[in-house]
Amino acid sequence: MPEALLEAAGLSRRFGGLAAVDAVDLRVERGAIHGLIGPNGAGKTTLLNLIAGALAVTRGTVSFRGADITRWDAARRAQAGIRRTFQNLKLFAEMSALENASIGLHAGTHAGIFAALARTPAQRAEEERIFARARRALEFVGLGGDAGVAAGKLPYGHRRLLEIARAFVAEPALILLDEPAAGLNQTEAANLSRLIGRIRDAGCTVVLVEHHMDVVMSVCDQVTVLNYGRKLAEGRPAEIQRDAQVIEAYLGRGDAPPSKHALA
Amino acid sequence: MESARLKRSLTGIVLLALAALPLFEPHQFVLHMLSLVAISATAALGLQLLLGFSGQLSIGQAAFYGIGAYASGLLSAKLGMPFIVAFFAAGVIAAVVSLVMVPITRLTGAALAVATLGFSILVYLVLKNEEWLTGGSFGLMGIPRASLFGYVLAKPAYAYLLCVAVAAAVYLSLLRLQRSRFGRAINAIRQNEDAARACGVKVTLLKSQCFVIAAFVAGLAGSLYAHQVRYLAPTDFTFWKSVEILIMVVIGGMGSLFGAVLGAAVVVLVPEVLREVGDYRMLIFGAILMVVMLFGEGGIAGFLEQCLRPFSKPRA
Repeated sequence: MPEALLEAAGLSRRFGGLAAVDAVDLRVERGAIHGLIGPNGAGKTTLLNLIAGALAVTRGTVSFRGADITRWDAARRAQAGIRRTFQNLKLFAEMSALENASIGLHAGTHAGIFAALARTPAQRAEEERIFARARRALEFVGLGGDAGVAAGKLPYGHRRLLEIARAFVAEPALILLDEPAAGLNQTEAANLSRLIGRIRDAGCTVVLVEHHMDVVMSVCDQVTVLNYGRKLAEGRPAEIQRDAQVIEAYLGRGDAPPSKHALA
Repeated sequence: MESARLKRSLTGIVLLALAALPLFEPHQFVLHMLSLVAISATAALGLQLLLGFSGQLSIGQAAFYGIGAYASGLLSAKLGMPFIVAFFAAGVIAAVVSLVMVPITRLTGAALAVATLGFSILVYLVLKNEEWLTGGSFGLMGIPRASLFGYVLAKPAYAYLLCVAVAAAVYLSLLRLQRSRFGRAINAIRQNEDAARACGVKVTLLKSQCFVIAAFVAGLAGSLYAHQVRYLAPTDFTFWKSVEILIMVVIGGMGSLFGAVLGAAVVVLVPEVLREVGDYRMLIFGAILMVVMLFGEGGIAGFLEQCLRPFSKPRA
């Protein structure tokens, strides 16, 4: 069996009486694009937040590269190589696209307050490296022409890409994409699918929460389906599309198998 | 001209003009007032980092200003330490005391503001009631003039140049911080804390560092004030002083270091200029604050930037 980069065991998160994520086991293989789908409210984003460390787990464990990271905070996980995007875009609106991407390199770089005050040669060299890498990340996602534009002034589709550039810039081991295709048109979604493939080819493992079934079915190696916070099914995209439980969860009880679009 | 270079040239011109001012032998009261502007500007620059850069609202900066003033005054008046030692000790002591703020950096917005206010009230009460140390309500007297390398800065022009030099050094230092990895990270925290965390920014640590830097700078300003005025009373460091420093930052322009200096000039000089109208001066001052804010949230610096825009090419 291929090596697991990320493993969740019995992962649960309760909000008051509601079990948003309920005893989920998840195994993400190194180098995979792992889809996470399910109806609205199934707990996909909550699960992503538990993996990223944005929410504390109620029960269960998360391990990454074999280390138990359940108690690590979000910044430490980011430093260790888990980066994410946000479904409802959390960019630094007043900063340029280039500066947004440069923040993604904060964890891997070192110059502190005194180095900045003294403008040491090491600090200046690091600044140059940061901006060169940030620029490459913008070009990678196709935002090379927008480097100087304030994030808040970018068109919507470009903001989605900037979220990805900021998460990808440090070339993390694991990248968590939370509905990157939301609000994109067909052409943009197709470009996004290719981009996700290129991110994997660059050596990042991807966890993809997505409603857009064309994207999920075209890029994912493995798909996990959540419903009411529980794992409903898991398998290759083609298997998932035929799974009776999955069809029922999405469409209610029925006989006809759903088309790709109906699943969306 | 490129916008950044235009700003740099303007900064240089302003600094040169300020340094050359004593050559024109202005009245010593003018020099005294401008020294007070430079001192207030220094404190306001510290708050600009805390509020304008990192987004943390403190209405307790007078506490650190007061700690710095009393520390410097006591060290030089009672222990006979040279000015330069008392000056840096004032900054360090204020910075160390600010470490009590670390637990409250988890707070944001109004809750944080009230917590800093509470701290400011505590410090005021200590200054007022610990008579054995601070002289209590009678105040602290006998603070020597500032001196450098054994020379007492007896002439108002020299004291003025010292204040301007400190303000300029703080200004340029904070400018370097603003354009660094640290500066970008605290700016990111202000704009979106969750996203900053997801990028690996240690939010609580950086926020605390901002408090410490702002307190250090306020402490330095307090020291300058102590040796400029040479008599300290607790009433110099009440809640109102914190509010004044906050006003400087906000009307000057949030996030703008130059704005903090302009704001300090307005807050110190306008009431002085309005002295002639007597009882109505604070009324007019209040009205001016309202009008400036109605002009736009960018404050005075934002307004000037708009005026300069036709003359500068945007950065490529």
